[in-house]
Amino acid sequence: MKMRHSVAAVAAASAMLLAACGGSSDDTAGGSVDSLKFYNDKAAWKPQFEEVSKVSQDEIGLALEPVGYSEANQYAAFIRSSFRTKEKPDLFTWHTGKELEDLVRQGLVAETTSLWDKAIADGDVPEDLREYFTVDGKQYCVPLQAGYWVMFYNKRIFDQEGITPPSTWAQLEAIAERLKGAGVTPFHQTNVLFTFSWFQTLLTGSDPELYEALSTGEAKYTDPGVVSVMDKWRAMLDKGYFSDPGSKTDPQVMLKNGDVAMINMGTWFNGNLKSVGMEIDKDYGMFVIPNVDPSLATRPMVVEAGPVCTAADATHREEAERYSAWWFTPPAQTAWANARGELSFNPRAEVSDETLASLSDEINKGDYRLMNRYFEAAPVPVLTAALDGFGAFVTKPGDPMPVLKEVQAAADAYWAEQG
Amino acid sequence: MSGSLGTATTVRPPGSDSDLGERSAAQQRTKTPYEWPARAFSLPAVLLVALLLYLPFVWTTYISFTDYNGLGSPVWVGLSNYRDMVSDSVFLTAVGNTLLWVVGSITLPVALGLLIAVLTYGRRFGTLIRLPFLIPYAVSGVAVGVIWGFVLQTQGALGQVLEFLNLPGASTRWLLEGPLNTFIMIGAASWQIVGVNALLFVIGLQSIPREPVEAARLDGATGWTMFRCIVWPQMRALTTVVIGLSIVASLKTFDIVWIMTQGGPGRVSETLALTMYRETFVLSDYGQGAAIAVFLSVVTFAASIIYLRRQLSGRATS
Repeated sequence: MKMRHSVAAVAAASAMLLAACGGSSDDTAGGSVDSLKFYNDKAAWKPQFEEVSKVSQDEIGLALEPVGYSEANQYAAFIRSSFRTKEKPDLFTWHTGKELEDLVRQGLVAETTSLWDKAIADGDVPEDLREYFTVDGKQYCVPLQAGYWVMFYNKRIFDQEGITPPSTWAQLEAIAERLKGAGVTPFHQTNVLFTFSWFQTLLTGSDPELYEALSTGEAKYTDPGVVSVMDKWRAMLDKGYFSDPGSKTDPQVMLKNGDVAMINMGTWFNGNLKSVGMEIDKDYGMFVIPNVDPSLATRPMVVEAGPVCTAADATHREEAERYSAWWFTPPAQTAWANARGELSFNPRAEVSDETLASLSDEINKGDYRLMNRYFEAAPVPVLTAALDGFGAFVTKPGDPMPVLKEVQAAADAYWAEQG
Repeated sequence: MSGSLGTATTVRPPGSDSDLGERSAAQQRTKTPYEWPARAFSLPAVLLVALLLYLPFVWTTYISFTDYNGLGSPVWVGLSNYRDMVSDSVFLTAVGNTLLWVVGSITLPVALGLLIAVLTYGRRFGTLIRLPFLIPYAVSGVAVGVIWGFVLQTQGALGQVLEFLNLPGASTRWLLEGPLNTFIMIGAASWQIVGVNALLFVIGLQSIPREPVEAARLDGATGWTMFRCIVWPQMRALTTVVIGLSIVASLKTFDIVWIMTQGGPGRVSETLALTMYRETFVLSDYGQGAAIAVFLSVVTFAASIIYLRRQLSGRATS
């Protein structure tokens, strides 16, 4: 009798526990769907994702359900852990470079080579972008957006000082000197996260080959070319061209208030400026940053192409691939670029804003050499050491060698591990 | 009736002259009729504790001996993560900063809390005086970091006030120089916690019996002598708890540092909890992050045990 009671109690307790821990099996059921969950680390972009979702629903009968995270590290940990669950993500934003390689090496991401072949053949994406999505000769994921790194400037300040956008580096330096003389801080900088901006600008504009060699481990951070770039950066810091690196004010607010006259940033920054009520051409403008070395044959253009990927074992892989294929097309990119108020990687997208459209034309037709943003080009351990080192460097400018040696030590450790 | 006679040995009143060893053995032999069901009903709780507390710790300890990036399977690497950890200069900086936090969190918020409690206890409007110190505790650590970040950034609110008053320090880079930024952040954290410590000490003061205080007063004890010889010794148990909690909280300091400096510039203000977070979630080096987590857990556990043992043994002999 006692035993029977005990067994009953254990069964009841276990059932309660299972009921508490278990989930509905319907959640993970496969089969055809008319909407896809889209995990992303861009929670603030939800309205724009929803705008595009309406277009995709009309065009291909598939809507997007954006699930946004605000904290990038938390998001990355979530995606990594999701591969160990039954419900692998149908669509999710990720990073190119080592982060993408990590997923591919484990066989976790769906291949998209055929989608890329078709998009390139249709003229929907520049061939140059393909390499950032390539691992071992195959393509994975599709680009969410292509952000080109340009210089944003406060039009009111430029107009007040009678300044026009420069076409050479010498002109840019002259503008900085003039603004400083007028009591305006020429350039924005920070010692958190985007500490690489000026390193990237100065190195790609001085020696693009060296920039690429650094990202593949073929060159060292202690090489004379890199040291010379750091010296140039330090000279600019010493001249007082930059804002307080520890400022807690958002860069878009600083540009709006005239705390700084210029900010070098990806074209997605248009959306940030729009959010603080700035209008393109009226309140601010953009120009392509001139080469530091005027003798370079081509103009390097830094591009950041954040990928949208599909898990290899995604519950709705077929629909996700259909969505990815559609994402390349002009209707998708027209809707996306206009919703975000920025450029599209698709030259056939109809960007409604004239300034953005002409910049897009210039980049697509001009003699530009697309270069991967430093954030994606550098392997994560090297990037982390560099971001910290550059943050310390701009906070307390001095001899750059200790910083470069520290970054190189991280690079040596990383490349030794890669064999 | 026969059933109740059968269990008579288990209900023998305490203090009877039977042999204790024999009684204990008898208790072990005799089971209560509801023992198994009782165990069964406690099973969910036991399973939940095992699942949510023991299992993660065991798993983290295992991961600390592996090379693991959150994908695929962990690869056993023995003590490699621990060797890397102790040879990393950033780890040593983080240990130093964490020690600063421990010392700072004991001296500032505990000492100030005690001072506020003693100075306001029993006074007219004492509660009103203490109230403003309690308000920051209602604010989250993240919000405290954001507020103080704006105040203390170079040319921030503090800088502007100093400049307006023509006082020195207007252009001091409070958050950009180490270890100054760590001291400043300890100050900001103290601002939040000092009111609670004061409240706890007031509870301690309220629990002191009147008799010894009045007896001491009759003997002529007042002021500092009264506090040192009569009040302070009777608040020892509470002080032990307050300091113990402060030690544990300071060892795991994370949120305020993450918000105010993110451990920078150049990782100069990192604490152990931040280093653990960066290794795990920024660098995706879960093995290294787990090694730091285990180290931090062991240090926290050891510090708590050593501190409490010393305090309790001191109390026992006093």
